[in-house]
Amino acid sequence: MKTIKYILFGMCAFVATLVQVKAQTPTDAIMMKQRESCVALIYDMSTFDHYWEGDLLRVNQTIETVTRNTVLPMIAIGLHDKLNLIVATPYVKTKSSEPNGGKFAGAKGFQDIGISLKGELMNKQLGAGKLALLSTVSFSTPMSNYLSDYMPYSLGFGAPEFGARAIVHYQLDKGMYARVTGAHLWRGQTEAERDYYYNNGSYYTALMDVPDAWDYQAVVGSWLLDYSLKVEANYQRLVSTSGDDIRKYNAAQPTNRVEFGQVGVTAQYYPKAAKGLGALLYYSQRISGKNTAKSNNFGVGLTYQFKI
Amino acid sequence: MNKNITIAVASLCMVLAITACDDELPTMANFTDYAYSSLDEGGGSWTPILLTSADQVVIDAPADVASTEYMAELTDLKSASANLTADQRKKVEYWTNNSLIRWNEIALELVAKYNLIPGPNEDDTYTLPNPASPDGPPAFPFAHPPYACRAFAYLSVAQFDGLITAWHYKYTFNRGAPYNVDNAITPAYEKSSLPSYPSHGAVIATSSRDVLSAMFPLEKEYLTAMAEEHLQSLIWAGINVESDIDAGKYIGEEVAKVALARAAGDGMKKAQAPKAVSDSIKAAAFARFGWQWDNLELPTRPVGLTPLFGQVKMWNVATVEEVRPIAPPAPGSAEFEENVKELKHYADNMTDEWRAIANFWQDGLGTYTPPGHWNRFAKDFIIKYKQNPIRSARTFAYMNMAIMDGGISCWDAKYYYHYPRPIQTIPGYKTIAGTPNFPSYTSGHSVFSAAAAAVLAYIFPQEAELVNAWAEEAAISRVYGGIHYRFDAVVGTDQGRKVAQYAIERAKLDGAN
Repeated sequence: MKTIKYILFGMCAFVATLVQVKAQTPTDAIMMKQRESCVALIYDMSTFDHYWEGDLLRVNQTIETVTRNTVLPMIAIGLHDKLNLIVATPYVKTKSSEPNGGKFAGAKGFQDIGISLKGELMNKQLGAGKLALLSTVSFSTPMSNYLSDYMPYSLGFGAPEFGARAIVHYQLDKGMYARVTGAHLWRGQTEAERDYYYNNGSYYTALMDVPDAWDYQAVVGSWLLDYSLKVEANYQRLVSTSGDDIRKYNAAQPTNRVEFGQVGVTAQYYPKAAKGLGALLYYSQRISGKNTAKSNNFGVGLTYQFKI
Repeated sequence: MNKNITIAVASLCMVLAITACDDELPTMANFTDYAYSSLDEGGGSWTPILLTSADQVVIDAPADVASTEYMAELTDLKSASANLTADQRKKVEYWTNNSLIRWNEIALELVAKYNLIPGPNEDDTYTLPNPASPDGPPAFPFAHPPYACRAFAYLSVAQFDGLITAWHYKYTFNRGAPYNVDNAITPAYEKSSLPSYPSHGAVIATSSRDVLSAMFPLEKEYLTAMAEEHLQSLIWAGINVESDIDAGKYIGEEVAKVALARAAGDGMKKAQAPKAVSDSIKAAAFARFGWQWDNLELPTRPVGLTPLFGQVKMWNVATVEEVRPIAPPAPGSAEFEENVKELKHYADNMTDEWRAIANFWQDGLGTYTPPGHWNRFAKDFIIKYKQNPIRSARTFAYMNMAIMDGGISCWDAKYYYHYPRPIQTIPGYKTIAGTPNFPSYTSGHSVFSAAAAAVLAYIFPQEAELVNAWAEEAAISRVYGGIHYRFDAVVGTDQGRKVAQYAIERAKLDGAN
């Protein structure tokens, strides 16, 4: 019973990172059994009033404080004990605080559908704990005709993304754990609604290359209260492999070289009284970056685990 | 195991699908040298814009093709063009036999590079770009639409007058192209019977370099290097000997001086009026009409964009007042309310189509501006109809003069009427396009586009329907974008056509028809 619960809880645990990264990269280490399913509904609020223009951290009263609200329904299914499928369909709404100098309309709509497959390659006892090696492949692509070239209000970067991630997870039998993951994210091209743009030179096309990126995460955490509460601290770093800088006092665009470092804490609670139910709470903050928002993220969610 | 293989294959397909669409993205017009649709042998008799005559700039008669001097140049050309490196070959291909296209692209790119509005300082003040200290910050220039249309006009006019001069001497001296003198030479471009002294390519290189260097002082080094490469490529391509090039360089430099002398005194220096002047312009409008435009940015910009651009010297219109449109409907009037209703309708029911139109024509900050967009169209038509360089220069010159005159007329209306933008008159109104820092009436996009379209329709009658439809779409795009009322766009379109007619009437009499 304990083992099952542990797995169930774990499965529903990936969601926090998903929202933060852009809703498609399951990064945890835990597998769900075949024919187990987990649904989750997360509300995420991200805000920023500072952003990095190249390396320069600045404010801009044209946009003031930008808020991004996301509602994220997800489902995870155990296709096999060692293979899980995860699907997410975030709905995003963006706007600026009032008053602001730009008077721009925000945007709203479904962002990108994310489909991930996570496989467990190895899981064995090592000393006082278990060492697991997992890999995730993920694919996401826009679900609606949102305009990526409308930053900072655009819902996403508007291009397909393929991700390949390696996960190494070591967990003491007592419940404490540490995890590192690394992924390469291949990003395609997004289509603007103008057929000329400047990216350190002229481009006579509506297509924009969205830079590929490396994404790393390091996590330490522990299960507490007899495996009913999980708390963890995490650090994430994303580094684009190419791209241009946001130009002075100019809008960002999908071709920008985005980098950030982010710290966060996450708590998940699974009340013993409510079987299959779980609650999620997280907060994260960007502490370094380039060509991106210095955003704070807050999220809250519910998960429900059941057998198919 | 089976499952694992399936996954691996599926993943691989996804990677391929993503990388497969990562095509090389175009950074310039994709064309190669072409046979000109005509040579315009009589081009030397066309009326120049600024020069008093085609022989105002004087060059010496060239050495005869039988002279030892010329023979030596021919030998140099043969050795220079015989074994090109891959890089030299690439440059020859880049410049093509209509290098006006490339210089126009360079101008567009510089506009896009410098079309950045200065942001506020820490203390919420704004600093203006200063030509006396171009490094800034902020860097000089801020290549906004008025600045851009003026840069394009001077560039095109200098090129055009330079090429009329070149054509005049080409057909006065009739010195054949090197490959027509010596059969052993195979040029990189289409052969033609166009005389090669003076080199029209060199005229284009130096006139463009000098005009653009004045307009974009921080780019002088880059422009000099580009011109040098262009001049070298004429020899590598086997189409000009050194003396052709020297004569062409001289003509280009001289016409650039004439163009820049006009630019220095055209009133642009005063266009960005100081606050006191700007305030009095605003007060005059309020006294006259009972309304005024206000900048709503945060922090507030103390002065709108170039309040006195309407007083810059026009190319083909005697006085800006004669093309000034009628007054717009007063805020609160029935007609005004109709227009507001329409704007709210678009904002509340934005469709993908309206949004796409608003964005396609936006040409906002960081881009080549609407005048740049129309130069791009002109370039595509020039290639499509295989215009020779002098004909191409004429297309650019008349179009860009009409665009600049349109801009001047539009700015005159903007600050004469000083009409508030929709975000000022409609409480809580939000837009999908950025509201610019100048009054609403009339729409700059509409005037620029209609003026450009009218000239293009005159020069390419086969494309008249198309370009006029584009101009209409560019105009209405600003209404979809939420930053102009329909009357700004409709009246602006009429205004642009009216102003362009002056350029067209001049073109009809310039001897090129």
